[in-house]
Amino acid sequence: MGAQVADLRARLRELVRSEVPEGYLGAFSDDPADLEVAQRFCRTLADEQLLCVAWPPEWGGRGASPWEQTAVREEMWAHHEPRGAQYMGVNWVGPTIMRHGTAEQQSRHLPGIARGEVIWCQGFSEPDAGSDLASLRTAARRDGEVWRVSGQKIWTSYATVAQWCFLLARTSSEEKKQRGLTIFLVPMSAPGIVVRPIQTMLGPHHLNEVFFDDVAVPDADVLGGVGDGWNVVQEVLSFERVGIARYARCERLLQWAPVVLAERWAGLGEDLRGRWARMLVHARRARLLAYRVVDTQSRGQVRPADAAAYRIAVTRLDQESAEVLVEIAGSVAPDTPEARRFCRAVEDHCRYSAAATVASGSVEMQRILMSRSLLAPR
Amino acid sequence: MILELGAEALEFGRSSWRAIQAAGGDELVRAVESDPSRRSQLGESVLGPLGAFDIDPWGSPEELEAAAALCRSVGYWGVPYPVEARLGRPRGGRFDALVVVAEAAPAAAGAGLRLRWAAAGLDGVLYSATPRAGGDQPRRSAFVCPLALEAVGTAQPLEVALALVLPCWTLLGMLDRAVALAGQHVLGRRQFDQPLASFQGVQFQLTEAEVERLGVEELAKYALWSLQTGRPEAVDDALALRLAAIEAAETVFRVAHQLHGAIGFCDETPLSWLSRYSVPIRRLPLGASATRSELTARIGGRGLTGLYSPPASP
Ligand SMILES: Cc1cc2nc3c(=O)[nH]c(=O)nc-3n(C[C@H](O)[C@H](O)[C@H](O)COP(=O)(O)OP(=O)(O)OC[C@H]3O[C@@H](n4cnc5c(N)ncnc54)[C@H](O)[C@@H]3O)c2cc1C
Repeated sequence: MGAQVADLRARLRELVRSEVPEGYLGAFSDDPADLEVAQRFCRTLADEQLLCVAWPPEWGGRGASPWEQTAVREEMWAHHEPRGAQYMGVNWVGPTIMRHGTAEQQSRHLPGIARGEVIWCQGFSEPDAGSDLASLRTAARRDGEVWRVSGQKIWTSYATVAQWCFLLARTSSEEKKQRGLTIFLVPMSAPGIVVRPIQTMLGPHHLNEVFFDDVAVPDADVLGGVGDGWNVVQEVLSFERVGIARYARCERLLQWAPVVLAERWAGLGEDLRGRWARMLVHARRARLLAYRVVDTQSRGQVRPADAAAYRIAVTRLDQESAEVLVEIAGSVAPDTPEARRFCRAVEDHCRYSAAATVASGSVEMQRILMSRSLLAPR
Repeated sequence: MILELGAEALEFGRSSWRAIQAAGGDELVRAVESDPSRRSQLGESVLGPLGAFDIDPWGSPEELEAAAALCRSVGYWGVPYPVEARLGRPRGGRFDALVVVAEAAPAAAGAGLRLRWAAAGLDGVLYSATPRAGGDQPRRSAFVCPLALEAVGTAQPLEVALALVLPCWTLLGMLDRAVALAGQHVLGRRQFDQPLASFQGVQFQLTEAEVERLGVEELAKYALWSLQTGRPEAVDDALALRLAAIEAAETVFRVAHQLHGAIGFCDETPLSWLSRYSVPIRRLPLGASATRSELTARIGGRGLTGLYSPPASP
């Protein structure tokens, strides 16, 4: 890990302190100013090549190591993801376009992402295609020079604010439903697209419906080959292998609790302090399981079962630590600005953690993946 | 931080694993339980020739890792010999073995061995310890017996930490084995015309156990690193590992037994032996609740060393 990572981490913390208002809980609130903070912060990061640290220099990055990427993931998630939705462009949209895009697609999309100017959304899930994603029905059919897309996506995060959609649609019906899928890069401003926000307990912008009604998409916006969408999606998931560094926010909130309670800390019941200590152990455990994946990744290997184990451990940590933190926050008299910030952060963590085991593929899918490798005939 | 033990330690772990297998593997515990007088021979005839007692965990980071790797192999085969206590003996040559004890009820799996025992309280008092009669027959006690203590000085925090960490490596070896046995069993056993492994209810239980096992492996390496680098919080890290390891063992053995069905309780299956012989390590010196209390009291509001301690000022 070393000094480079420590320097990077220190710089990121400095930037968060100077650029992100105290008590910030992420870009997605009812206050549009929060989104502006994120947009500004992305540009600040981009100015120092910190937005796309892992990207090669020719596309505006620093070619950073997986360990530096890990530090970025940790610091951003711990501080309520001040990059807003742009983490997606950075983590997987850009890298996927680098691997599969035409030269024209690359020069059209990558600089904007690297400058921190573009928000993407992911159009995968549909009402009848959740865990069983390959059952999706949104269809693109050829019409002369263009494709015409019709259908419905759902749970599309940030669709109301996104400029582009990374869309998975069916281009032919094959016997094996994973075949015949294709990725399209579609501007959200295209005629025929309607976005409808869904009110949720997670807060605004997280979930939306997106309707496509005969949306014309030129051939030039197909990513990878026609019919090759499933393979591209698998790669998207592999870029996301380590996923969100949820443990970092858990650890930060857990460590913050005794500071906020100060002399009242010792007065918390022994059982509650014991559960808190146990959560710190679990936060460390999840972090080390993430490092296990990063370590193998940095040696060019892939062990999907390890990534699945990490996801299972970290999402459970997210939810269990939320329960403990809510109970601790219940003993905080919100009589100082810091105490109020703590209680609001815990409330936010608690609501959001409920979705941890469903978002980006449910933990049950991770268990299926893991048991495949555990029970592979030897 | 250690992300993987060094190549030498891993190789030593593998060669000791093979040597124990060649010396009888699963049979060792059966033989010793039916004839407890053979227990002390395990040290001389099986572990000694491996060089187990020439390892000085304080000598170098590599030797410390070799000690951990050996404990893991010993745990895998459920060898009923306190190799972790012997490897963790205090420096100075006065004692052959060290265990951490709860002073209110000091005990160790020390029956039937002629060793010079030392014991340490978590508060750092070092005792000379004498195994007393009064342990049950091995089938029930797994060689645990009460200890008589006589205070003789002070144990260094790193010595206490080592004596907490090495048994967790032995327990990790037991978890490795229990998960492997459960996996083999559900692949082989058929019900409803299919292997048990084809049922999702079975698969998911197994993944539950595996996540716990992997978590212990990572925390065990972390605690070893904390020792190697002589960190002041090495005892906290050892207790953190111990808490996770005992909880993991609860899950892993519950799942492994459940997936075996009735056969898992029979003497003919290795699981039943492993399960019984895991108990002393899980219970001594302190079980899950008391370990948690101890850790909580120690870390106070400081927390565990990590990304945000000392606590990040938000
Ligand atoms: C906060 C949030 C943000 C999201 N953002 C996006 C986004 O931006 N873009 C996008 O495309 N999607 C997004 N999603 C959707 C997400 O990918 C899906 O919710 C997820 O894949 C699960 O699909 P589902 O909700 O339809 O649940 P279902 O697939 O209906 O599953 C319901 C339950 O049944 C279980 N289940 C299903 N099949 C099996 C099986 N074979 N064996 C055992 N259990 C099974 C699941 O594990 C789950 O627990 C988001 C979801 C959330 C919660």
